[in-house]
Amino acid sequence: MNEFKILGEFYFCQLLGRPIYDKRGRNIGKLRDMAVRWDGVYPQIVGIQYANKTHELIPIDQIESCSYKEVRLKENFEIEKTITLHESDIYISRWLLDKQIIDLKGSKIVRVNDITLSWIMQENLQRMVLVAVDIGVRGLFRRLGLEFLFKNYKNNLLGWQYIKPLENWNSSLQLNHEKQQLSELHPADMADLMEEMDYKRRANFIDHLDDQQAIDALAEMDLDSQVEIIEQMDEQRASDLLEEMAPDEAADILVELTVEKSEGLLKLMELDDAQDVRELMQYPEDTAGALMTTEFIAFSADLTPEEVINQLRELAPEAETIYYLYVIDQAEHLQGVLSLRELIVASPSARLRELMHTKLVTVQPNDDHQRVAEVINKYGLLAVPVVDEQGIILGIVTVDDIIDILIPDRGKLDTYSWFALSKWGGRGRS
Amino acid sequence: MSNTIKNIRTRLGLFLAVMGPGVVTAFADNDAGGIATYAAAGAKYGYGLLFTVLISSVCLAIAQEISARTGAVTGRGLSDLIRELFGVKWTFFAMIVLLIANIGTTASEFSGVATSFEIFGVSKFISVPIMALLVWWLVLKGNYSRIEKIFFMLCATFLSYIVSGIIINPPWEQVLLASVTPTFASDGEFLMMAIGVIGTTITPWGQFYIQAAVVDKGITVKDYRYVFWDVMLGAFFTWLIAFFIIVTTAATLYANQISIETVKDAAMALEPLAGKYASMLFSFGLLGASMLAAFILPLSTAYAVCEAFGFESGVSKTSKEAPVFFGIFTVLIVLGAGIALWPDLSLYKVMLASQVINGVLLPPILIFMVLIANNVSVMGKYKNSNWYNVVSWTFTIVLIILTLLLLLSTIAPELMDSLMKLIGL
Repeated sequence: MNEFKILGEFYFCQLLGRPIYDKRGRNIGKLRDMAVRWDGVYPQIVGIQYANKTHELIPIDQIESCSYKEVRLKENFEIEKTITLHESDIYISRWLLDKQIIDLKGSKIVRVNDITLSWIMQENLQRMVLVAVDIGVRGLFRRLGLEFLFKNYKNNLLGWQYIKPLENWNSSLQLNHEKQQLSELHPADMADLMEEMDYKRRANFIDHLDDQQAIDALAEMDLDSQVEIIEQMDEQRASDLLEEMAPDEAADILVELTVEKSEGLLKLMELDDAQDVRELMQYPEDTAGALMTTEFIAFSADLTPEEVINQLRELAPEAETIYYLYVIDQAEHLQGVLSLRELIVASPSARLRELMHTKLVTVQPNDDHQRVAEVINKYGLLAVPVVDEQGIILGIVTVDDIIDILIPDRGKLDTYSWFALSKWGGRGRS
Repeated sequence: MSNTIKNIRTRLGLFLAVMGPGVVTAFADNDAGGIATYAAAGAKYGYGLLFTVLISSVCLAIAQEISARTGAVTGRGLSDLIRELFGVKWTFFAMIVLLIANIGTTASEFSGVATSFEIFGVSKFISVPIMALLVWWLVLKGNYSRIEKIFFMLCATFLSYIVSGIIINPPWEQVLLASVTPTFASDGEFLMMAIGVIGTTITPWGQFYIQAAVVDKGITVKDYRYVFWDVMLGAFFTWLIAFFIIVTTAATLYANQISIETVKDAAMALEPLAGKYASMLFSFGLLGASMLAAFILPLSTAYAVCEAFGFESGVSKTSKEAPVFFGIFTVLIVLGAGIALWPDLSLYKVMLASQVINGVLLPPILIFMVLIANNVSVMGKYKNSNWYNVVSWTFTIVLIILTLLLLLSTIAPELMDSLMKLIGL
């Protein structure tokens, strides 16, 4: 059993500025900041900065006693005993205090009002670790010296494992840790967080996401934010993301950009992906053609349910919806449709030709979104196929594409106001 | 027919969409308090304050440029940066300053609303509560973008001061000369008027607002040059309107020794253009400007404070999710409307006083702004150039001196007199 003793717990802000005395009682300076090293589970304090503009630190194991009144050292202070700041060490006040961080627990951006430290003795080794950040009102008023006003409030502390600082941090160890934490966030939460960040931090944040994470998060944003992000992104990365995105979403974004910029991005994309997107970009805004995705699932009428199910396993990850299976001939004329349920309950040896519905509900590429919505609503569909005059299927419009248009977020309405501040000073464009 | 109207409307919409934060801020800046102050300045001192208007417009351009540039470079709001660079205590100070200034300004906006309705014989005890409720409800629950455009159009009636000014045809030579000749008087009233003119041209909230608007529009450093011209155009507009209000009121009121008792008197300066409809024209403009600012002021204040302290904010949140945000917004409207409704308080005095308060509270905000814009780790190569710093520090110091002189002349006029004699004024 490890010997483990807590020597003290502190609010960092109340230690700031406290005088430091050495063994013979000489005043060395004040506690200006603390340097922290993060190579284990908890970030550990390595040293105390005792004067401005010096990077010599008093090592943490020199501390004899520590209180909100003063800090006392075990030995007499000599400049030779100080340590210098290691390149991966960071000053906590400059790096964390008053800064914005991601609260992974609540999936939002919060501001650090204070930091709690724990001074512990473990296996005869003194260590001081960062335990949590204070993001509550009480912490705020503690900084102002008015904590007594909020005595009845609970401290709003956020454990170290739940925070992600927004400032650049170059330790690779920590990056892996972050990636894992971020992958646990829901893409919609991630989207909200990204919309709240300023553009530099957002770029930095996206750089740390893999393509799939970035696409999932982008898909949850409104068009304005998507356009803004793609515009500000490095072209190569932007084209990679656009390539992987659903072609209808990619097209929506690209038509909002300048011709110069969108052509540049299209040229960087793989040819067939770019071709899909280009076709969608031709349709005027708010028509079925512009709303549809070309990633639907279609089969030949001669297949059996069993063959179809096997193929589905391969196709499903790509397609936007697999609940409707469209049946086409060689020339891609739409012949019928059946639902996933009908496919699964069908006898394995039947032919799609016998199972499919031939009474088709379709829209034309130039129908406006109102008409598409009416059709989807009237027939209770999850998706409606878009066919041209010859009856060739061009794509499908899913119900969620329509909902996005019919029910804009309330926050979005504000962007039409000239004076609106949907994102005040970097806060969320909700 | 209806097609042509639609066409014109689309074009107008396009033009307005291109207009950026700079021009929008400039329009919102010429609010009720602004009109009242300029009109009072013209009526009382004739062309005497034209020089102050010119200088404060130049400084407006510089201040707005600093804020807009900071917003574009950092992508972050002013209170956010104050918090990160100066810590909690300074932020608290800055927010108190902003809150006091904005409560005053909101009160002046509702006074403007009250005045414009009084011209039509509607009591302020009816108009102010209704309009306050309308603002509160539309911002939080409804969609105010359409109604906002109506008020914006109403603001355009202030352009009629320009037409009126041309019709009056004042002695242009004298006017232009006055514009470039520094005028100074040491009495408290003049100082107050000068600070008021500065305070209504450059406002603390305007600085927070333009930076946020730049961030909000997603303008980054590579688009910055457009914003630069947008800011310059905005400052020019502010000056143009202020210039003509002073010129027309000087030519009509000052020349005939009519002193302004209420803001309504400022409508007299429009008589050469609109005749007996002058006060109607004036009241439309005043209503538009006041309502426009009444929409954004409480909102932008709530955003700024929440941003600084990390409280939840946003109109799409519920009052449970973002209690501080909704609290500040509501309190500002209630206090603003409440002051305007105070029985024995002259609406005109509220408007003037709020502009003086803005002027007095401006220096601390300017100091924060300039310090941030000089911070290399924040601004990189876009930090302030040297001559910029010289101008902004000079202006800040002059404003502080003016404020101190005003204070001195209020509490100890005799001391002020002897001081002025000492330096030979």
